Amino acid sequence: MDFDLDYLTRQLPALWQGMRLTVEASSLAMLLSFAVGLLGASLRMMRMPVLSPLVAAYVEFIRNTPILVQLFFLFFGLPAIGLTLSLFWTGVLALTLWAGAFQVENVRGGLAAVAPGLREAASALGLTRVQYLRLVGLPLAIRTGLPSMLNTAVSLVKNSAYLSAIGVQELSGVAFDRIANDFRAFEMLAVLLVGYLAVVLTLSAAVRALDHRLSAPFRAA
Amino acid sequence: MQTLALVRENMPLLLIGLRATLLLALVTLLVSTIIGIVLGTLATLRPPLVRILAAFYVEVFRDIPLIVTIFTIFFGAPLLGMPLEPFPATAIGLSLWGGANGAEIVRGGIRSVSKGQREAATALGLRLWQTYLLVLWPQALRAVLPAYTGLLALIIQSTSLGALVGVTEFLKAGGLIIERSTVMLGINPAFGIYSVVLLTYFAICSILTALSRRLERRLAVGHDRRAPAMPDASAV
Repeated sequence: MDFDLDYLTRQLPALWQGMRLTVEASSLAMLLSFAVGLLGASLRMMRMPVLSPLVAAYVEFIRNTPILVQLFFLFFGLPAIGLTLSLFWTGVLALTLWAGAFQVENVRGGLAAVAPGLREAASALGLTRVQYLRLVGLPLAIRTGLPSMLNTAVSLVKNSAYLSAIGVQELSGVAFDRIANDFRAFEMLAVLLVGYLAVVLTLSAAVRALDHRLSAPFRAA
Repeated sequence: MQTLALVRENMPLLLIGLRATLLLALVTLLVSTIIGIVLGTLATLRPPLVRILAAFYVEVFRDIPLIVTIFTIFFGAPLLGMPLEPFPATAIGLSLWGGANGAEIVRGGIRSVSKGQREAATALGLRLWQTYLLVLWPQALRAVLPAYTGLLALIIQSTSLGALVGVTEFLKAGGLIIERSTVMLGINPAFGIYSVVLLTYFAICSILTALSRRLERRLAVGHDRRAPAMPDASAV
């Protein structure tokens, strides 16, 4: 078992490409899942008939099934009934659906934390439910819910590694391919461990710093 | 219905898969519990070095994607001259990860026991190990039950990763049925079969999640501090 630095250097361009794909897929899914979270939580909050229970069922379903099976369902199941998406977008869709469910809960938690008086004030001023959400509820909910929303986003980056299971050439995909072809597991595994630790630790530290800043007005002076 | 016919026909294979899934979950739960109790307890002790080591372990295994941990064990073990079969490799990977999450829960459980209990134990002259064994652990047990039930649901979901290194667990069993039908019958039942697989996981895990919430409500009395929160799939 020897660590071949030369081999590793030669693989760096491919790994870099993989890292870029990881970042691309994760960022797209992150933005889309934020949108899913805001929309889903609003629908839940407004207690719309049919739609609210549907959102609740979606959240429960995603939380209680393995993300890998969700991914396989989208990748193998949908084409079988004639719905075909590209590999990359299948991956983005899977990550979005997964993270979206948790974002709905995060935003809902934020909405629940809004002081009841504000809601009453909004209705006393004649704001409609949609106006309340847009002007009062969601801006406050995003602020209180942001740390947990960002934690979900960090998990999403981690879970983008699952995309290698359907053949997306993101960071893990590239590394696992090299292991299978060149039998140089040691170097590739080291890259993955260091790579993901670096990304996740950096992001978590950023989330903690932001959390600290956001909670500053609420800390005792 | 084509799917139902296939499911009925392949029931033995699905049951073999389900058994492997549950066995994998059980082994993982046991080993995770041992790691969790040891590290979670160490994290509540005074020496900083011990606490830092425990925190380091927890941080590392929660931050690395589980799929990478399992592949590292599976492909890394032969490099160290001891190749592992898919099942033990998956079980080890899952346990290292599960142990990190178990440790967080145990630590939270011990911390949720009111401080007066520890002080009373000291005042009565109990040694450190007696304090843990007779006073802190029993009370922490109550506090960790909801979170632990939630962790079991997460472990069951995560066992599906075994399919990627060649364990014939439930997901893999479904995949095999699809492959066979495609080759032998010329049909592609992926939509139906993976729906059945999803629904089965959903049935098992939603029962555990519901149980966890129930326990949380019932046990939520008589504690100074909040019990450890249920592990969220999005936070592990």
